[in-house]
Amino acid sequence: MVYRIYVEKQKGLDNEARGIKNEIVELLGIKNLKSVRLINRYDAENITEELFETAVNTVFSEPQTDITYKEIDTKGYNVFAVEFLPGQFDQRADSAAQCISLISQGDRPTVKSAKVYMLEGELTEAEVEAIKKYVVNPVEARIATLDKYDTLETKYAYPEDVKTLDGFCEMDEKALGEFLDKLGLAMDIDDLKFCQQYFISEKRDPTFTEIKMIDTYWSDHCRHTTFLTNIDNVTFEDKLLEDAYNEYIATRKALGRTKPVCLMDIATIAVRHLKKAGKLPKLDESEEINACTVKIQVETDGKLEDWLLLFKNETHNHPTEIEPFGGAATCIGGAIRDPLSGRSYVYAAMRVTGAADPTKPLSETLEGKLPQRKIVTTAASGYSSYGNQIGLATGLVDEIYHDGYVAKRMEIGAVIAAAPAENVRRERPEPGDIVILLGGRTGRDGCGGATGSSKSHSLSSLESCGAEVQKGNAPEERKLQRLFRNPEASKLIKRCNDFGAGGVSVAIGELADGLLVELDKVPKKYEGLDGTELAISESQERMAVVVAAEDAEKFCALADSENLESTVVATVTEEPRLVLKHRGKAIVNISREFLNSNGAEKHIDITLS
Amino acid sequence: MQALASDLNVCSKRGLSERFDSTIGRGTVLMPFGGKKQLTPIQAMVNKVSGEKRDTSTVSVMAYGYNPYITEKSPYHGSYLAVVESVCKLICTGASFEDTYLTFQEYFEKPKKCGKRWGKPMAALLGAFKAQMELGIGSIGGKDSMSGSFENIDVPPTLVSFAVTTDHIDSIISNEFKEADNEVVILKPEYDENGLPKAESLIDLFAKVNALIKSGDVVAAYTPTYGGVAEAVMKMCFGNGFGFEYDEKVTNEEIFGYSYGAFVLELSGKCDKAVGTRLGKVTKSCAIKRGEEKICSYNLLETYENKLESVFSCNIETSKEEIPAFEFKASKYASPAVKTAQPQFLIPVFPGTNCEYDSAKAVEYAGAKANIFVINNLTKDGIARSVESFAKLLSESQAVFVPGGFSGGDEPDGSGKFITAFMRNAAIKEGIESLLGARDGLMCGICNGFQALIKLGLVPFGKIIDADDTCPTLTFNTIARHQSRLVRTRIASNMSPWLRNTEVGEIYTVPISHGEGKFLASDALIKELAKNGQIATQYVDMDGKPTYDIHFNPNGSTLAIEGITSPDGRVIGKMGHSERVGAGLYKNVPGEYDIKMFKSAVEYFTK
Repeated sequence: MVYRIYVEKQKGLDNEARGIKNEIVELLGIKNLKSVRLINRYDAENITEELFETAVNTVFSEPQTDITYKEIDTKGYNVFAVEFLPGQFDQRADSAAQCISLISQGDRPTVKSAKVYMLEGELTEAEVEAIKKYVVNPVEARIATLDKYDTLETKYAYPEDVKTLDGFCEMDEKALGEFLDKLGLAMDIDDLKFCQQYFISEKRDPTFTEIKMIDTYWSDHCRHTTFLTNIDNVTFEDKLLEDAYNEYIATRKALGRTKPVCLMDIATIAVRHLKKAGKLPKLDESEEINACTVKIQVETDGKLEDWLLLFKNETHNHPTEIEPFGGAATCIGGAIRDPLSGRSYVYAAMRVTGAADPTKPLSETLEGKLPQRKIVTTAASGYSSYGNQIGLATGLVDEIYHDGYVAKRMEIGAVIAAAPAENVRRERPEPGDIVILLGGRTGRDGCGGATGSSKSHSLSSLESCGAEVQKGNAPEERKLQRLFRNPEASKLIKRCNDFGAGGVSVAIGELADGLLVELDKVPKKYEGLDGTELAISESQERMAVVVAAEDAEKFCALADSENLESTVVATVTEEPRLVLKHRGKAIVNISREFLNSNGAEKHIDITLS
Repeated sequence: MQALASDLNVCSKRGLSERFDSTIGRGTVLMPFGGKKQLTPIQAMVNKVSGEKRDTSTVSVMAYGYNPYITEKSPYHGSYLAVVESVCKLICTGASFEDTYLTFQEYFEKPKKCGKRWGKPMAALLGAFKAQMELGIGSIGGKDSMSGSFENIDVPPTLVSFAVTTDHIDSIISNEFKEADNEVVILKPEYDENGLPKAESLIDLFAKVNALIKSGDVVAAYTPTYGGVAEAVMKMCFGNGFGFEYDEKVTNEEIFGYSYGAFVLELSGKCDKAVGTRLGKVTKSCAIKRGEEKICSYNLLETYENKLESVFSCNIETSKEEIPAFEFKASKYASPAVKTAQPQFLIPVFPGTNCEYDSAKAVEYAGAKANIFVINNLTKDGIARSVESFAKLLSESQAVFVPGGFSGGDEPDGSGKFITAFMRNAAIKEGIESLLGARDGLMCGICNGFQALIKLGLVPFGKIIDADDTCPTLTFNTIARHQSRLVRTRIASNMSPWLRNTEVGEIYTVPISHGEGKFLASDALIKELAKNGQIATQYVDMDGKPTYDIHFNPNGSTLAIEGITSPDGRVIGKMGHSERVGAGLYKNVPGEYDIKMFKSAVEYFTK
């Protein structure tokens, strides 16, 4: 049985409804709109009627500020309802379900939320459509039915086994080209040929998962392919730049560097030089790459102690441009996870963003783009919502305005963190060590974030859970912050990686050279995920840690005391191969050397003007 | 000047910034906006390095540098200057140049296969390379994004430099003008034929400025950026409502042109050294003038704040209604039947709670023992275990402190529901009744904790009840977004044991950070509360008067009420984060911060 309740703020307290009405009138210019009523609709299943009734006044509403209805009278209004796309994290419904289980001390009911818009005024059909378009961002939400549900259960088809790409090794260049297009891969034809060579040497065809995974590994997002492109020739039109370039070349020579010239080398050469000259004595270096790390001394109660200071900057430009709230929230969430994976406590953030003029009228918005005003305000709301919830001081917030940012917004999060040096242990994982997954579960919303939502046929056929952008869940990440701040737990961690890009295959895959991952053990948000999705779907608020086998139980108990889910999913192996098992079969089995090659070499000639 | 104040890249971003919590962690040394009016934006973010159990006196300092209009003309120059700008911002905050580290954010158009397009990031990186080599500091990390194109539009070449260092908290100074009649000078590095500062001269300058700050000769410092000296002086004026009189010799070019690498310094009245070139002096009158040219700084402020008001509002109209200042002087205080040498404070942590570290520190610094308890709700078994353990801890504790945060993400659509759901559990409810009734214990809730206490009825009724529509509550701020800043609160009643070290009429500055802090109650109930001395604190303006003005009453609370208590004062709920107060914090906003709440609570049990 599905129970439904409608909750509306009392007159005078309906800030959100009035805000939306003003936006529609002023920004969309729909002057006939008299008023907007905004009603939260909740549906709950797997709950007794009595418990539902209790929840109406204690969870879904608050008698001091809200009015509740079993039915709504829609006469005289244009009415529509909006819900999140299936698979998108809905904090409202999730919290409601958690609250109800706290009251009942029973299992969590299934809760679904939607927002009902009731528009008053003589509106044309086109105007109602314009309003819908304004409030529904199709990458995260959709129009919901106004009817009652018979059930909230989603039926999931049993996912098929991962397919081997028969005949891949025999494909000619034309066939490979077609294959590339068909799968919408981010890699280029040279990379694919390079893959083919590898699988020929392995004497087998790859699986679908392997190709998707390699594509993620070698994407610009994970591997800086642009910055690592070999610069073959440079033409100068400016003396100043030529001098600087020559100085760079001389510095390289003095350091004895023979690796090809590339943007990454120019970006890092000064530090190599300064290090050699002994000018960066406080720099902390390790095999683990989490964030910038510096050794500092910290004074507590008049005593000096050795600490590590970590900082990191990160952009989330593309996601914020298309879904500003979730994009900006996961920008700061992701920035936090880098130093956090270095076992430090992130305590402050700075936000620097770039936008075009947000005061320009909506009518000047480019086709296919959200208005700047909407982007700047919604992104601010998303970033602050995450930062405020996780609890780090955002002490400096600035926005830079330049017309060029209409091409794509700039959303930077920079964070700063620290930990007593003794709390951070860094060791190379050894065969027999255990990999534990912590925090958020895998869903389909994280598929292909790293390679730029490259949808393949097999993925798009699964329509039931198709959200393309991820939502942040700050309370979950805060639990990780608490766990890693506890020296008892942090001192058990040999190495750690976050799930910034590329899901299980990359986050776990980067932890050690040889790994055996059991995908069937990876906790899922819902059923119906196939092996490829389990391997490549990113997820926010999740970490993978390596601990010694004998420490695994203790570590999981500490995670439980922080209200965090933990699961052993992989072991470190002797042979330097990344193996992912699903339903008893190895669906990925690739040598470390090949993965680390970053694909075929790229080349460019540059003109400096 | 008016055009400058309304330039998008100069104008006020206060409405944007104030929705971000800037004070959690009790480590914020400089508020985002300084001066008694909280209007001078800081140039560098300064926080105490965060310790889990103790506060530290080491601070991290972080600043950024980037100007898209220079970088689009020459990525090389722009990137060089981005590094310079980011470091200068650290220096003018009092940090020394030693041990400065950088990290870059690159953001460029899609380079495609075009050599010229590739030339932009390359030139930018060469500029940054030069700056690192010459200044002897390195970018030890960074992130690149090379996809800033949409059809035929490209983002400007972007290389943002972040500079980071650490220093002692005592070294830090803020950038708002401090005192009328103080002399203001400018110090500049030498520039080379390309218009870039000469590194050697810049490094000398860093040492010189640092020494002047250390010796106390400089009381405020600002490094000119996008809007040059004019922007620097204007913003330095706003914080404390000063004016400025430029030296007549200063040219328009010097005022409005770029001065990257320079420092505008306000000298202490006691400084007798000859420093730099005279720029002018701070004045009491609210005007910025040079000779006969004059502009009212209030008009300027209005232009400056109005530019983005329609996008990021912060100055909404509020009621002008007069509000009475409540007065209730306690003659006697509640006292427990049995004294305790070291009281135990129980601090529950729900998913989304985020003030427990700060709360525990505040309690422990006051001499009590803090017990942080994390509620587990992964499974129904976890919930049952949590209820049992919590009830047991409750029976062993003298006080419960429900900390701030966003329990359950303030969802479903309203705060504190997670906490109230837990507290309404029969075993917990009974435990709380016993704590308050039989054992004379104390309870406090700050921010999200206050929201939970009021929704349970613990304030103002002193017990857990089923709320109905006549009960008071806290709801969404009138401005309809999160607010974070410092506010002034006046003690209206010192009847509560939590406030017994205060006097009625005293004013305490306190950080607030919330989206739902608007106190709502019926007239009749408020009358009753006032009579009983249950209205603890009110938001007040600079003159100490309770007000609805958004600059002082951040949420539109009825009669400016900030905190209330139970009838006997043993339970207190307030929005202001009194636990986020510590040595050396909020240096750029003057005020009395220590309300001694936790000391008072400990003394209730011990003395």
